[in-house]
Amino acid sequence: MVTLTVDGKTVRVREGATVLEAARAAGVHVPTLCHMEALEPWGGCRLCLADVTRKSWDGWCKLIVSCMYPVEEGLIVLTATERVVATRKVVLDLLLARCPETPLIQKLAHEHGIERTSYQPNPEPTDCILCGLCTRVCDHIGVFAISTVNRGAGKEVAPPFHEAPPDCIGCLACAEVCPTDCIPYETSDASRTIWKKAFEMVRCPHCGRAHITREQSAFYAGRNGVPASYFETCDACKRRVMAKTFEGLAVAR
Amino acid sequence: MERIYKVSVERCIACGKCELACAFAHGSEGNPSKTRINIHRRGPELGTPVVCFQCHDAACVAICPTAALVRNQVTGAVDMARERCISCRMCVAACPFGNMLWDESYHCVQKCDLCGGDPKCVPFCPTGALAYVPGDVAAVRPEPLVR
Repeated sequence: MVTLTVDGKTVRVREGATVLEAARAAGVHVPTLCHMEALEPWGGCRLCLADVTRKSWDGWCKLIVSCMYPVEEGLIVLTATERVVATRKVVLDLLLARCPETPLIQKLAHEHGIERTSYQPNPEPTDCILCGLCTRVCDHIGVFAISTVNRGAGKEVAPPFHEAPPDCIGCLACAEVCPTDCIPYETSDASRTIWKKAFEMVRCPHCGRAHITREQSAFYAGRNGVPASYFETCDACKRRVMAKTFEGLAVAR
Repeated sequence: MERIYKVSVERCIACGKCELACAFAHGSEGNPSKTRINIHRRGPELGTPVVCFQCHDAACVAICPTAALVRNQVTGAVDMARERCISCRMCVAACPFGNMLWDESYHCVQKCDLCGGDPKCVPFCPTGALAYVPGDVAAVRPEPLVR
């Protein structure tokens, strides 16, 4: 265990934990956009900035990204210094310029005292904040269908060559995890489309409902070493089949 | 794990109180279609409550790519750590009994977590088809309901 202080509160966390984890353990609120506990830290949004120092550093501070910085014994973390607040405001100001119409960013900016961006607002407003959660979730599952493409102002999330991604299995995890809900998709009991790819659906042999894509069942089967037929039956019919086991049960009248 | 969630199918009269209790315990609108316990109605006043078995070697736990499903050592339930869930729904596809439920209104997977050790459906069951009892009591064969 490592002992450090976050905004004056002493906290003990496991070795290898990040400063963000320590701050949360100490009950200190640190805003984040790209952080997700289940995924590797990425350091993309730069909102979780903090100052770190040590007694021996003679008042000198270092600005760090708390989701990436591993804890050290005796570290002093300051999450609300003037420099941290000012830098975070610049980040939010830039984000608001990129996404002037996104409620999540407007709310965060408002909380930090920014009502309107001081930069030139994006003439083509987007909801994508480039947090990378969608691409990282896709990679984490092991599909690798989408990634960030281009650099600088032209950076965006897209499938290869902006075409329907051949590797996409249509699980919709990217769209679900998106904090600004900016990945469009359509799904129903009959069809599914995401990233301009229309999927062939597996129909439940009992009720005919399309509940999973053909690619999903093939991918899950390969990943877990079970036949693809394992994923044919929809969850409602699985319950029905399971309940049927008890049908012969004697009931006293 | 001091107690076991016991379902006595012989005693279920398919009244649906457990479904409602569950829906109110876990959703603000109490929509019975959002329940985590589902009664399979197989005849007049004959039902089979279908609810998560909290399997010992659970398919949902095995398939989860983010280790969001973890065994609660106190209640014995497989709990969902929401902050780790990425909504990939592999567990929904993997559960052989259909007890991982995708909730389209809250956009998350719902599963029975035994309400953290105090299952809200149990006190509402009028016939004792649902019980949360110590292991030795759970092993006793249930009395058929005199109908």
